Amino acid sequence: MPTADELRIRAKRRSRAIQSLILILTIIAIWGAVSNAQYNLTRMNMTSGFSFLERDTGWDYSFSLVERSISDRYYYTLFIGLLNTLFVGFICIVTTTFFGFIIGTLRDARHPALSFAANVYVQIFRNIPLILQAVFLYAILIHLGGPRQAINLGDVAFLSGRGLMLPGLNISPAVSIGLLLASIAIAIGLIIAKTSLWRGLAIWFVSSIGICLLATAVLHPSGEPFFSVPSLQGLRFRGGISVPIELLALVVSITLYGSAYIAEIVRGGLSQVPAGLVEAGQALGLSRISIWSRIKVPMALRSIVPPLGNQWIFMMKATTIGIAIGFSDLFYITVNSISQSGQTLELILILMLTFLAVNYSIAIFTNWLNARLQLKEH
Amino acid sequence: MKKYITAGALAVMGAIAPQIASAQSATVQQIVERGTMLCSGHNGSYFGFVEVNDQNEWKGLDIDLCRALTTAILGDPDANQIVPLSWAQRFPALQSGDVDVIIKATGWTMGRDTELGLQFSLPYFFGGTQFMAHGDLGITDATGLEGGTVCVEAGTTIERLAANYMTTIGVEHTMVSYESQAELRSAYLANRCDAFAGWGPNLAVLRATELDNPDAHIILSDQLSSEPISAAMRQGDDGFVDTVNWMLASLLIAEEEGITSANVEEMAATPPNPRVARLLGAEPGMGERLGLRDTWAKEMIAAVGNFAEIYDRNLGKDSPYGLERGLNSLWNEGGVLYAPILD
Amino acid sequence: MSIVNVAPPSKFDVARKTFIRNGFGSPLTTLISVIVIAGLAYIGWVLLDWGIFRAVWSEEDVSQCGGHAGACWSVIDARHRLILFGTYPFDEHWRSTLAAIAIVLTVVVSCQPVIWRAKRLAILWIAGFATYYLLMEGSLLGLPQVTTDGWGGLSLTLFLFAAVVLLGMPMGLGLALMRRSEMPVVRWFATILIDTVRSLPLVTTLFTAAVVVPLFLPSWLEGDKIWRVIIAFAMFFAAYQAEVFRGGFQAVSKGQFEAGRALGLSYWSILGRIVLPQVFRHALPSTVNMIVVTFKETAIVTIIGFFDILASGKAAYGTAVWAPYYIEVLVFVAAIYWVFIFLLGQYGEYLKGRMALAAH
Repeated sequence: MPTADELRIRAKRRSRAIQSLILILTIIAIWGAVSNAQYNLTRMNMTSGFSFLERDTGWDYSFSLVERSISDRYYYTLFIGLLNTLFVGFICIVTTTFFGFIIGTLRDARHPALSFAANVYVQIFRNIPLILQAVFLYAILIHLGGPRQAINLGDVAFLSGRGLMLPGLNISPAVSIGLLLASIAIAIGLIIAKTSLWRGLAIWFVSSIGICLLATAVLHPSGEPFFSVPSLQGLRFRGGISVPIELLALVVSITLYGSAYIAEIVRGGLSQVPAGLVEAGQALGLSRISIWSRIKVPMALRSIVPPLGNQWIFMMKATTIGIAIGFSDLFYITVNSISQSGQTLELILILMLTFLAVNYSIAIFTNWLNARLQLKEH
Repeated sequence: MKKYITAGALAVMGAIAPQIASAQSATVQQIVERGTMLCSGHNGSYFGFVEVNDQNEWKGLDIDLCRALTTAILGDPDANQIVPLSWAQRFPALQSGDVDVIIKATGWTMGRDTELGLQFSLPYFFGGTQFMAHGDLGITDATGLEGGTVCVEAGTTIERLAANYMTTIGVEHTMVSYESQAELRSAYLANRCDAFAGWGPNLAVLRATELDNPDAHIILSDQLSSEPISAAMRQGDDGFVDTVNWMLASLLIAEEEGITSANVEEMAATPPNPRVARLLGAEPGMGERLGLRDTWAKEMIAAVGNFAEIYDRNLGKDSPYGLERGLNSLWNEGGVLYAPILD
Repeated sequence: MSIVNVAPPSKFDVARKTFIRNGFGSPLTTLISVIVIAGLAYIGWVLLDWGIFRAVWSEEDVSQCGGHAGACWSVIDARHRLILFGTYPFDEHWRSTLAAIAIVLTVVVSCQPVIWRAKRLAILWIAGFATYYLLMEGSLLGLPQVTTDGWGGLSLTLFLFAAVVLLGMPMGLGLALMRRSEMPVVRWFATILIDTVRSLPLVTTLFTAAVVVPLFLPSWLEGDKIWRVIIAFAMFFAAYQAEVFRGGFQAVSKGQFEAGRALGLSYWSILGRIVLPQVFRHALPSTVNMIVVTFKETAIVTIIGFFDILASGKAAYGTAVWAPYYIEVLVFVAAIYWVFIFLLGQYGEYLKGRMALAAH
């Protein structure tokens, strides 16, 4: 009969053996992978290393926020891909959160027709794969026809199979990226300053529009109008903001799908707000809108933010379906770089590390946001 | 305990380490052992070359060449698997061994030959890159595409050629690229693009049959390139390259000598000259030098026919596309195809 | 003398009254009701009119499609075999049909509470999967062999789904156990693996498995592309499912482990007999949800070149004759996905409701 001490020593020994076994197996697996990769690369005479990043690409793609040409280097093209992914991801995070809150609130509404309609929406868009929705929407949009058959939206905006032409402020793309960053900085500043929810949103909205107008007033090309409105010239529209149809289809389909998911999160959060609080509000004579904005949403946010953060990471990852409809997101650019340069391992490594970095940043941000919200209770 | 772990680790390392083999033609050996040949298909249809018919079977010029190669090595035209691949996936798939050979309208380029570590066969087809545009634009060459959109398949040489050409002639444009020909085609038909950059023969095939009304589309006069099309293989297996080259050569020699799938048995029984006798295995020497059976070329021609038959069936007068042979005729008929000498 | 009805109002009566009060209680709510109901009815009518009343149904009538305001279901009549079976040999389609039914039956049977024992579920899924594989592959049953390259359409989608769930479930349980382990190396290993897989988009994981992994493996380990992709997909499933199981473990009080240990039970018997049954129970609704997500995500394999139902749908309208009827094909494919996902999702909701009741 072994003593307790002996048993403890035995257990310790076993745990050490298991752990070293796992370490050794991991090391062997990594060693095996590396040596096989080296062997396979030399066997097939493939070049390896990152020197290809300095080479010209020689090919073009559908969308970029900044100037691009076919003599861009690979690293610059990959950077444009990252910008596109972040851009689409950011837009989708904002739109899905916005529509998700509206639809989720409707789902939670007492009004039977409204909650039924919201339910129909959620059941349709949540239960069809996102990629199928994107392909479907893209197929419908590109059948709208060329610029000459464009649908005229009040003479200032046009929708055709090529894209959506919107009137815009007369500024260069680089300035608009700067403005976008400034707007994000204001939002983060407001969260740090612990501004209350609705006031913070209002300040953010007004000041973002304000700096846009200010920047246009200072920076727009002299002699040209303040606003730029699209007009048909030759094969395409000139002036205004041109949203390529690939970008439009991607953003709209992710928005439709993502808001159905966020609506469910919001509904769950709202329905967990204790009925007593709502009744207290009613007893104070608050209107329904005040009860919603001052009691239900602030209370619900605490249970909404963690799953919301997961959905935001999902949005970022969902941009990769852009490849199915010809939108040049980071994944598309990486896959095309692989087939044009053959540097498979290096490019996949860059892609994975980039996504890890982006998604860890979002996770850190939502954790931080969550901590902010929880602290407010004290 | 430690001893066991070390011994186990060494055993695992031994098994996981790369296995170095250096037979004369490892690929042919692998194919024979496996009993099937792995060829490249397309994700969808690339008309005339690699397409899926109503019975869900693969057909086309490139598929017939794969069948010819399968017959040469295994003696059975159907002992192959067609692995569907997008353009972007074809070289990684070859490198990783998912396919044995790529016969898929693949152009011979220096980058592929050197950096990608590929080996190309004799060219079996010539075709240039061109643009096809909607007829109602009323344009005849690429300068008319100013401000328009050009669509192209992602990861191809055409993608680079078209981008380079448009930049050279200084035409401002938008370029959209797609992962498969089906997506590209439906985008072009839906008028997402003003023009469609593609490989000449493919554009002609599409225009002839797949578009609603051929006259509604025009192939622009610009010639961006003339590409030699070859089979691509992994580097370092010279024996397999020889096999593929002589498979192609035999199809051309058969055409030159008038050997068809209909008369091959008769020709083999009573060969009109020594070259035919050697080709069809009536005289020994054709098989041994490649490590195959002496009658491999005879079986191959019986199964798929000579090069003219393959062309006519898939692209030429017996196909819905009716393409002229032009450059792709034999050297003695005004084309540029020729076979090395069979001695 | 009047008769007073003292029975409680029926459930239906209460529901009707609440409905009227909330929907038509004031002029504003009535107005909203009327607008929303009219809007929904209009959309419903347009869809019905297009999809049924004015639709053309058979392949022979395709000539009537042009200029017709309704749907042209002729394309489905003509091409449904391509959509459902992909490039599977035409004469063997019956095998593909039976195989697909085997998977659907497996899923339906697993929804019965009688089956909810780890052993029974494992046997059921392995049997269903084996039936599928034997029928599709064929050579072991003496039928003509069809290799995985020839599999396609709905059957391929179902195959990927079943294989991923079957492989991913034990992997997920393993990862969850490793993550709870008291040994730091084991815990870190699981944590790093789970967090990495969850941070990467599924399509990059699958692309890597399809294209890049072979470079890292000796030739005898490479296997078929489809199996590499399934294993990578199962890793994705396992990483998420491990978190679901972790939630289940947190719901079981630590005291139970200690109680088991005090009784002298070993780690594995405490786990197998006491803890795991409770974990499974708590994790059930989230697991069903994860299975639904997996079914939806299989559509992504079309990007890495598999001929799944989305790809075969695209091929179905990829010719000149059928190109104008892309909407009909995509509606057909979307409807198939929707029915599967909606039913599974409703089942998950039902389970959640049942367990909430049981918890009271």
